[in-house]
Amino acid sequence: MSRADYGVMGEFATADQLAEATRAARNAGYRRLDAFAPFPLRRVSHVLGCRTEIVPVIAATAAVVGGGLTYLAEYWMNAIDYPLNVGGRPLNSWPAFIPATISVSALWLAAAAFLTMLFQCRLPRLNHPVFAVPGFERASEDRFFLCVLADDPAYEARDITALMKRHGAVAITRMELGG
Amino acid sequence: MVKQRTPPMEAYIRGARKPDPGGPEGDEHQLWRSVEELEGSGDVRRFSEAEFSEPASPESIDRRTLLNLMTASLALGGLSGCAVNRQPFGAPLLSQPHRSPQHIPGVPLMFATSLELDGLGRGVLVRSHDGRPVKIEGNPLHPASRGATDAFAQSEVLSLYDPDRSKVPMAGGTQRSWADVRQLIARLRQQFLANGGRGLHILLQPCASPTRDRLIRLAGQSFPEVSWHHYSPLSNDLGRAASQAVFGRPVDQVFDLTQADVIVTFGGDLFGAGAGHVRYAADYAARRRATNRPLPNLYAVETTPSLTGARADRRLNVAPREVESVARQVLSHIRQGTVQPSGPQSFAMAIASDLARAGPRALVVAGREQPAVVQAIAHVLNSELGAIGTAVRYIEPLSLDGNGHTQSLLALAEAMASGRVEALLILGGNPAYEAPADIDFADLLGRVPLSVHLGTYRDETGITCRWHVPARHALESWGDLRAFDGTVGLRQPATVPMVEATTPEELLAGIAGEATDGHGLVQGTWRAAWDADFEARWLKSLEDGVVEGSAAPAIPVQSARWSPSPAEPAPPVPRQTIVFAPDPSVWDGRFANNGWLQELPKPLTKQVWGNAALMAPATAAAFGLRTGDVALFTHDGRSLEAPVWSLPGHAPDAVTMTLGYGRTAAGSVGSLRGFDAYRLRTSRQPWVLENVTVIPTGRRDELITTQHHYWMEGRDIVRVVAPGETPKSSPKPRPSLYPDFIYDGNAWGMAIDLDLCLGCNSCVIACQAENNVPIVGPEEVARGREMHWLRIDRYYAGGTANPETYFQPLPCMHCEKAPCEIVCPVNATVHSSEGLNEMVYSRCVGTRTCSNNCPYKVRRFNWFNYSQRAFAAPDDVHNPAVTVRWRGVMEKCTYCVQRISAARIAARMENRPVRDGEVTTACQQACPTRAIVFGNINDPGSVVHQRREDPRHYALLGELNTQPRTTYLARISNALPARAAGGADDDTG
Amino acid sequence: MTTPVEAPTREVSRIPLSPDFGWGWTISLIASVLMVLVLAYAIGALVFVGVGVWGTNVPFVWGFDLTNYVWWIGLANGCSLFAAILVLRRHSLRTAINRFAEGLALFSVICAGIFPIFHLGRPWLFYWMFPYPATFQVWPQFRSPLTWDFWAIITHLIVTTMLWYVGLIPDLATLRDRARLPMAKRVFAVFALGWRSSLRHWDFHQRAYRLVAIAVIPLVLVIQSTVAFEFAVTLVPDWHETRLPLHFVVTGLESGLALILLAAAALRGSLRLERYIDDEDMNLIGKLLLANALVAGYVYAGEVGVMVFADRYTEASTINRITGDYAGLYWGAIALAVVVPQALWFRRIRLNNGLCVLIGLAVTAGIWLDRLSIVVAGVQRDYLPSMWRTYAPTPPEWYLFLGTVGLFAALFLLFVRYLPVISMSETRHDEHLEGSS
Repeated sequence: MSRADYGVMGEFATADQLAEATRAARNAGYRRLDAFAPFPLRRVSHVLGCRTEIVPVIAATAAVVGGGLTYLAEYWMNAIDYPLNVGGRPLNSWPAFIPATISVSALWLAAAAFLTMLFQCRLPRLNHPVFAVPGFERASEDRFFLCVLADDPAYEARDITALMKRHGAVAITRMELGG
Repeated sequence: MVKQRTPPMEAYIRGARKPDPGGPEGDEHQLWRSVEELEGSGDVRRFSEAEFSEPASPESIDRRTLLNLMTASLALGGLSGCAVNRQPFGAPLLSQPHRSPQHIPGVPLMFATSLELDGLGRGVLVRSHDGRPVKIEGNPLHPASRGATDAFAQSEVLSLYDPDRSKVPMAGGTQRSWADVRQLIARLRQQFLANGGRGLHILLQPCASPTRDRLIRLAGQSFPEVSWHHYSPLSNDLGRAASQAVFGRPVDQVFDLTQADVIVTFGGDLFGAGAGHVRYAADYAARRRATNRPLPNLYAVETTPSLTGARADRRLNVAPREVESVARQVLSHIRQGTVQPSGPQSFAMAIASDLARAGPRALVVAGREQPAVVQAIAHVLNSELGAIGTAVRYIEPLSLDGNGHTQSLLALAEAMASGRVEALLILGGNPAYEAPADIDFADLLGRVPLSVHLGTYRDETGITCRWHVPARHALESWGDLRAFDGTVGLRQPATVPMVEATTPEELLAGIAGEATDGHGLVQGTWRAAWDADFEARWLKSLEDGVVEGSAAPAIPVQSARWSPSPAEPAPPVPRQTIVFAPDPSVWDGRFANNGWLQELPKPLTKQVWGNAALMAPATAAAFGLRTGDVALFTHDGRSLEAPVWSLPGHAPDAVTMTLGYGRTAAGSVGSLRGFDAYRLRTSRQPWVLENVTVIPTGRRDELITTQHHYWMEGRDIVRVVAPGETPKSSPKPRPSLYPDFIYDGNAWGMAIDLDLCLGCNSCVIACQAENNVPIVGPEEVARGREMHWLRIDRYYAGGTANPETYFQPLPCMHCEKAPCEIVCPVNATVHSSEGLNEMVYSRCVGTRTCSNNCPYKVRRFNWFNYSQRAFAAPDDVHNPAVTVRWRGVMEKCTYCVQRISAARIAARMENRPVRDGEVTTACQQACPTRAIVFGNINDPGSVVHQRREDPRHYALLGELNTQPRTTYLARISNALPARAAGGADDDTG
Repeated sequence: MTTPVEAPTREVSRIPLSPDFGWGWTISLIASVLMVLVLAYAIGALVFVGVGVWGTNVPFVWGFDLTNYVWWIGLANGCSLFAAILVLRRHSLRTAINRFAEGLALFSVICAGIFPIFHLGRPWLFYWMFPYPATFQVWPQFRSPLTWDFWAIITHLIVTTMLWYVGLIPDLATLRDRARLPMAKRVFAVFALGWRSSLRHWDFHQRAYRLVAIAVIPLVLVIQSTVAFEFAVTLVPDWHETRLPLHFVVTGLESGLALILLAAAALRGSLRLERYIDDEDMNLIGKLLLANALVAGYVYAGEVGVMVFADRYTEASTINRITGDYAGLYWGAIALAVVVPQALWFRRIRLNNGLCVLIGLAVTAGIWLDRLSIVVAGVQRDYLPSMWRTYAPTPPEWYLFLGTVGLFAALFLLFVRYLPVISMSETRHDEHLEGSS
């Protein structure tokens, strides 16, 4: 009994081949595509329809919220919960509360960006079917991969293999879940 | 006061009595709040009466309580009873907390007693917590104190607990039992009863004590042949000779500075040393503040800069010989009436004309180190100006110490040398260390078959003598002492003795055959004096600390027309002259083992943990010496190496060496510090040593000081105004961005009148004692880590030849806009609702940034665990009302917050506001001149408020707008116009 | 077949994966570990004996502690700021510099963080700066610059780590894929978080990386100013100046640049990385440092100018700093941090590894003298002459300082040994772009 099919992975030698293959696959009507490269390829990922505008929005919001919380905390601690006459200064010494506020909001900004990235990439995930593809380790070095997932409505392994061959795939592998 | 008959035990613990309001120091009633409450509240009285009904006797002592208290008190053993007789100590600890009539646990008791210095008494009140004396205050009823103290009195409480005190009798290096001592005394008595005491010599430290005098006379009856000797290194032999010459009889003199308009001092230190200096300082301050008469003129002619010279309106600093010549000139000017009140004057002429103008309101004082002729001139001037009866009065000599101590000691030395001394009793004192260099006392002691030394320490003498017997500390013993004016103050123990010991009186009694304890001896003296109403007067005198109306009456003196013999010519080759002086920290050496005093910055040099040879900067430069360079001082055969201190204002061609250092057997704190100036002192020239050669050795000895820089750099730090001059800027509130915090209740503040501060240091020690300020030791002070909460800054103005000297006590300023508070990250220093700048020790993590941000640098940091390190004071002396700080936390002056809260509690219980003067800070209470005033600045009637209204009032570094609560009153200097007129004076030096 | 993009990863990744690394590295590591032991001793002395082992006193309550703290934090801020700017500018220099620049920043922050904790009188209570519901029920005091600084350090540590780590993830994946040893493979795999170099990953990664870099820039400016505020908001005459934050930012960035120059020259010399850190890179860093040194010179001149118009106290204490007991520190700082870098006017010197190392050392030392001059000489002449004293450091203070230097060296050596000192993915990217354009 063969295990559940995950998709077809084609290996390409150059970024241009990958780009061609990807565009062709899109035109052929495939939607569940994923591409792998040793470095970012804007134009390919654009074809794949990857959108990242959400990250800065989240980060900016986090910065504002973090800073606000910090200031409110300082105000509550020094002026509301335990007010003390410190050097005859006003209880709400707002200029003195600013530096920590800025620092912490920067912290929230960076942390939010980082966490959003992890979430969007569904990382960390140490085990993944693509790692089973022979020679896939070169994806982090000098090879380019295109993968059509099995849950694509138009998924037909044979056509895909042909398409990839047409665009100069060096090797083509069928991936299986849990393989 | 409780007035019914009381068994002896209660008499031992007579709390000090509150002075009747409106008394001489009516405003001082806050001094003993505790006792006032005790007397006030009825249940206390019931409690007392219940206790009275139970006669305490040796059998009824709760042994376990005693043991607990003793071990808790100080683990020094010595639990058993008194030395000479079997009776238990009549000391409070036995009866506390259960058997004391006045004792409420936690409420301190005050005991009125007397402390000796120079053989004279200073009345003090000892504050005792559960039988532990922890603080000493002045006794307002006592003429020598008037509620104030000097630094020495403050520090006695530390000496009491000194672990180095001698604990057991020693004979030939082995420990002996007290039975042996008693046997020794009995044997002596038997041995000498036969021949009436020939061969028995008794050396006493002069001490004006009626009981001791009685015992001496008593012993004299059964031992007519005993030779009595009296020696104190600081005795005023020359003064005795002077009065002999002028009046034909020995007299002592008492000054009344409140009467004097013109005061002239030849040497000495009227305010800093000598009999009654605390009182004289107070009187001078009172005279300065007297509104009905113009400011007094104070002239000082001296060699060594002194507190008096620092305060003087006009000061001349010259070598000893010239002091004498100035005195002679003044006398001749006065006698020949050749005074021209105006125009350029010599200093002598200025003095003479001023004295002549003042007439009976003039006062001339000569220091004890001055030659007889100068002291005689002082007598003559006083009498011929008619000052006798106004500014000075003469009384019978207070202590019977024959003709001159040096003579007395020389006689003893001669007898020892010739082997006529069979037995020698040294009752107090340390002759082996203090004797003049030409008397090798230690060596002579070796030739005495039987020598007995009685002392609180097994010191240089105690080691040399065959026998050493531990003596009781003043706070453990009974006695009576005459003050500088003859007033008798009773001495009662404020605690059970820390060690088993005895007193000179008890030993004398043992010899004389009156076998009773100190209590009985003193009672014996006064029962004879008062017989009928003894009981009442005894109790009252114990409570008061003074015997009412016992001041010595003035005696009439008629001065024969005495004229000074012509001055002998100055030595052909001008050499250096050494002047010896008691040390402001260790006096004659007796306080050498007292850490508080060793670490007390000397008023003028700010040196600690040692002494130095003081020279004028010009003189030092002439020898190519800088402060810290070691020089060799030689005078016929004897030589001494000492580090030099270049002291501005010191007379040229003279060197001042303070006595009391270079001890070899003082104890762990005091041994081997500084150099021993006694090694140059001779019996012929005890005070002024001429023809001294000075040779630089090229070596250095880094002297330790707490103030390195003494110019004000033109900054407005100590403000000086001429009489009636309007101040530069009135402290009007500056605009501030910050909101005003309202202090509608008490707003504590302090005002320090720099015109009254003499720089005497008693406030510094008082603060240290009250607030458990640690002793850090010489190395730490050298690194700039002394812990004093209150320091006295000393600044000079004018050249180094003869500058003006200013003192400025600096406690925490308690700024309303405190810079230290805002920079603390953990809220460890914050403001209280009454405006105090408070340190929360338990919250402090020790960033030290508060000290960075304190412009006055009054914060002190615990770099180590000072309360547990070497030099640390014993735990018993700590004030239980004040936290002992630990390593790593910041600390500083708290305005004695514990006293504030005590007063607040008392006021709440009586449902009234805190009265002005009810809170006294330790420094304020100790200050002889009342320069420091503390109180509620919101209360228009308060003294501090009035001072803040004074035109002389100003805030230190006011331009920083920290709005300090501690503020100052400018110093008034009528030297300013004087200098403008005859400016040549300053160069006379 | 080899593509033009194959080479870089090979050579760079060979360094961490090579089984042995030569005796030079081992010896230097041993040396630096020994210095770390000295650090342990110095800290032990502080904790068990007390901060009194230092030469500090009143008024010099701060000595080496704050000096070294300010110095380290300055290095860290300089490196971070520089790295972040490169990331945002997508400057070609970043491929060469960023990785180890971010590393240097991180290690400097770690060293800096030691001092604020252990200079305390009671270091075991340092966490009282953190707002937690304490038994006292009292909170930290947020008006204090030390509290600002507490937050600054924590933020700095976390954000610098993130900037560094985010950049590292793809390279960790490369190492995971190239590692032969199963153990190494497993470790790299864990830290690579399962990076699949999918183009989705790449896009989000680029976003996040740039956003963290954006966070760094205001952060380091704020932190450096906050450090300056620790002095500037006090009343100490020589410190209480608005120019101080500028002074700290400029000199801090200069020290950071000097450190980068130093490290770059050392790395390309020792690891034969001339191909990645090429002459143009060195040339550019050299020019930047030179420019920064000129600005620093301007700042020093400005200080004197400010003094002329300042109140008498400020004038007196600044003059004392320039001419007094500690004048050597001030002039040494100017000589090393302003004069010496002028050598960088010459291209030959900019390209000479040895000289660059020396200049880097000189400038960092000069900035250290500048910190010491401010912290120590700045408080010597304040308001009341009665408290004018001197301060001299004790051996334990030197131990603590050298110990942190050792810690820094050890961390850097380990980094060089086990992680790619050049950003492989960035290099690949660049070379691809160049190849395609």
